[in-house]
Amino acid sequence: MEILWAVLILLGLGLILGFGLAIAAKILHVKEDERIGEVEKRLPGYNCGSCGYAGCRSMAEAIVGGKEENIRKCRPGKEETNFKPIIEYLDQHPNEDGSKVKVHL
Amino acid sequence: MNPLNAFIAFILAIVSSMLIDNVVLSRFYGICPFLGVSKKVKSSLGMGIAVVFVIVMASLICYPLFELLKLAKIEFMDTVAYILVIASLVQLVGLFIKKFSPSLYKSLGIYLPLITTNCAVLGVVQSNTDQGLTFLMSLANAIGTSVGFLIIIVVFSCIRARLETANTPKAFKGLPIALITAALMALALMGLQGLFSGIQL
Repeated sequence: MEILWAVLILLGLGLILGFGLAIAAKILHVKEDERIGEVEKRLPGYNCGSCGYAGCRSMAEAIVGGKEENIRKCRPGKEETNFKPIIEYLDQHPNEDGSKVKVHL
Repeated sequence: MNPLNAFIAFILAIVSSMLIDNVVLSRFYGICPFLGVSKKVKSSLGMGIAVVFVIVMASLICYPLFELLKLAKIEFMDTVAYILVIASLVQLVGLFIKKFSPSLYKSLGIYLPLITTNCAVLGVVQSNTDQGLTFLMSLANAIGTSVGFLIIIVVFSCIRARLETANTPKAFKGLPIALITAALMALALMGLQGLFSGIQL
């Protein structure tokens, strides 16, 4: 009986908090460059930090923001699965003023 | 207890958990952000306010939650439930800061989500229910502890800002002198020990 209550109460708590957070995330949504997420998806996603950034997300921000051109800094990244797709993606999605994001291997 | 005495007890509880039993310097909770975010006054202020919000809200939510757990006779689940509440609150604070102060969000960095594992937060909530404090006293404990954290981290960051330019020996530059400063601050606060021990309400 106690186990049932434990499961039910924590489930209910989790649901309430989860919905609260989902609503808060909608209200407090920050508009971001969608390319950052796309580049992040194409990075290995280990968040190892060997590139010198805090994680894959910060590296993606730096790449899209034009602060990082050398994507080889991502050491676990592979040529075929990571770097080429990123270069291809950024080639097809230029900045708003039409200039391209500079990246090289 | 008449209202005046209750009010005095409330204020005394705040002051005592703020200064005498200071969370950082005499209970040694929350050392990680204390040393990690205290390089700049602005980011330490942001950190302190975020911690105040999380601690006060967590105690407000966890008090009725513990009553619910008691009703269902599953008090042993308290820590798990508290962590759930604290983690959600930290997420909320993170979203809020990201929206309204991206620069603060950047300077807090990894320390912002790490408020979840700041033992000051769980420590306050857990000790509230372990000691069986009333709702008012838990609130006082939460406000006192969190404001104590805020004051100490801001004071510490001011001292560290001065230390940056001070002529410290090379071996003591940076963290070593900061740790010595923290120890001296803890010693100073020890002087307040037993300040309220003679007061009977």
